[in-house]
Amino acid sequence: MKRGGPLLAVLLGLLPGSLDAAPSLEYAVKAAYLPKFIPFITWPDNAFAGAGAPFTICALGEDRFAGKLDQAAAGLRAGDHAVQVRHLAASDAAANCQLIFLPAGSDPASMQATLDAMRGKPVVTVTDSGLPVHGVISFVIENNHVRFDIDDALADEDGLAISSKLLGLAHAVRMRSQP
Amino acid sequence: MSTAPLAGRKRNWSPMVIGALAAAAVLLAAGVLMAVYQEQLYSAQQAKSIREQAQILAASVTAAVIFNDQKASQEYVDALRVNPELQAAAVYGGDGRLIAGFARATRLPSTMKEASASAGIGYIDIAVPVSQNDSQVGIVLLRALTEPEERRIARYVGVILLLTMGALVIAVLSFSQAALSRRAQELSRLNARLYEEMEERRKTEEALRQSHKMEAVGQLSGGIAHDFNNLIMIVKGNLRLLRRKLGTQAENTPAGTYIESADEALDRAAHLTQRILAFSRRQPLTPQRVNLSTLAQGLTELIRHSVGEKVDITMRLNGTWSTLCDVNQMENVILNLAINARDAMPEGGRLVLETRDVTLSRPPAEMENENFVPGDYAALAVIDTGSGMPEEVRRRAVDPFFTTKPQGKGTGLGLSMTFGFVRQSGGYLAIESKVGRGTTVTILMPRDREGP
Repeated sequence: MKRGGPLLAVLLGLLPGSLDAAPSLEYAVKAAYLPKFIPFITWPDNAFAGAGAPFTICALGEDRFAGKLDQAAAGLRAGDHAVQVRHLAASDAAANCQLIFLPAGSDPASMQATLDAMRGKPVVTVTDSGLPVHGVISFVIENNHVRFDIDDALADEDGLAISSKLLGLAHAVRMRSQP
Repeated sequence: MSTAPLAGRKRNWSPMVIGALAAAAVLLAAGVLMAVYQEQLYSAQQAKSIREQAQILAASVTAAVIFNDQKASQEYVDALRVNPELQAAAVYGGDGRLIAGFARATRLPSTMKEASASAGIGYIDIAVPVSQNDSQVGIVLLRALTEPEERRIARYVGVILLLTMGALVIAVLSFSQAALSRRAQELSRLNARLYEEMEERRKTEEALRQSHKMEAVGQLSGGIAHDFNNLIMIVKGNLRLLRRKLGTQAENTPAGTYIESADEALDRAAHLTQRILAFSRRQPLTPQRVNLSTLAQGLTELIRHSVGEKVDITMRLNGTWSTLCDVNQMENVILNLAINARDAMPEGGRLVLETRDVTLSRPPAEMENENFVPGDYAALAVIDTGSGMPEEVRRRAVDPFFTTKPQGKGTGLGLSMTFGFVRQSGGYLAIESKVGRGTTVTILMPRDREGP
């Protein structure tokens, strides 16, 4: 399987989340992760505009994926919804998004504003690694591997249910308060 | 006994033995079937248990497989290490590449393809797909050690031993039972033969004793009767001399009457001694050639007279052969038997006088005499429909002085005399009797071939 083109896939397959190569590999892994979260999270029905509405992944600010995210999400479906990717400016009001990615490098205040705006809404906010602000899911780099923390308490506030399987895989979890 | 029938009998097992052997075989077969069934059940259960563990692993490892998280996958897989049955556990990604796993004695296949190729004896490999929302994202493979043969056998060795012992016990028991019953049959057969021989011997001894008894009684009574007869003759002679001496003086005087009475008594005594002599076969006989049918025919009127009106007389005189005997004595005998028959039928009945020609090779039943000589006989039978005799009476019927008649009615010498006369004449006497049915007395006189 040494066919140059799919070298990335090979690397991903062999060493998932390993970042010993170029920085772009880190974002390739993150791009692969984002759509993979979807099956482990349950959105309430009111998260969508309608039954046939698409599932929208919104990448805010600078596009660091170089098309990898669009590739990873191409053709995927989340239940009855077709998955689509939208790239928005950092300052845009992220409306009709079910999953929002906040990359590093953006204005922290703007990001905090976005996070505040999404609070209480059925939207999974994913924050990049090395950021002072944290969404429902935040990427972390540990031992040169891409991993993620989960704020299950925040997800609970937003009306989202995250599968225990995903929680079990997380680097750290902020537990939801026990009822 | 030749060996062939013996061997045949040996092979001829009794149905019981065959049944017992069949039961033992059925027992063994049932045991084996049960063991096989148990074994399959156990294998199926083992496979089921492994499959369940694989399914649990597949369900829990889903996210780790999707995110290609080797560390988390390894943690899930390692949780299965506590199960010593598992030789290997592995999680493969959607592309078939190994994500995590462990292996004990066996080598962990690095790809799913290799895993399926390396399944071998002593192992079972269970593969369960890892799926997320109906799409397969990977495969979980568990390899479990199937139980080694020795342990399986060890598990069943107790049962096998028990079954074998049961079968053996059944077989041994049935064999010994068969042998016992064979022995018992043989023993009972031998016992029956022993009894037969004892009975025969008893009969023979009885006959011998009877014969000796008759002989002794005959000699004794004969001797006494002979001497007694001589004494009677002396007394009688002296009485005659006395009467001559008295002459006419004695007539119409008490003395004459005394002499007369004494003389009569002496006649009776002489008659008695004559009968005793007849029984002891010492009477002087004058054998003549005679046909019993003719003799009986001539006696018909006398017999009718003797037995009276109440008895119906039938003559069946079919005998043609002649014999040698004292005619007077024979007449006495026939008359005597007819009178005995009448006495047996006080309420009347039927008397049959029968003569036949018979050729005998062995003595007829109820024959009273020993030393039977096969040959031609002129037979005469006196048959009545009277009260009959019980066996013990019948057996003693010819004993002298044995009688069932009331005191003073018989001397008990009638049949003895008949017996003595017949034996002295070379014939035989047979008495058949049944209580309530009647009696048949048969006289067999040897055929006289000299005459016409």
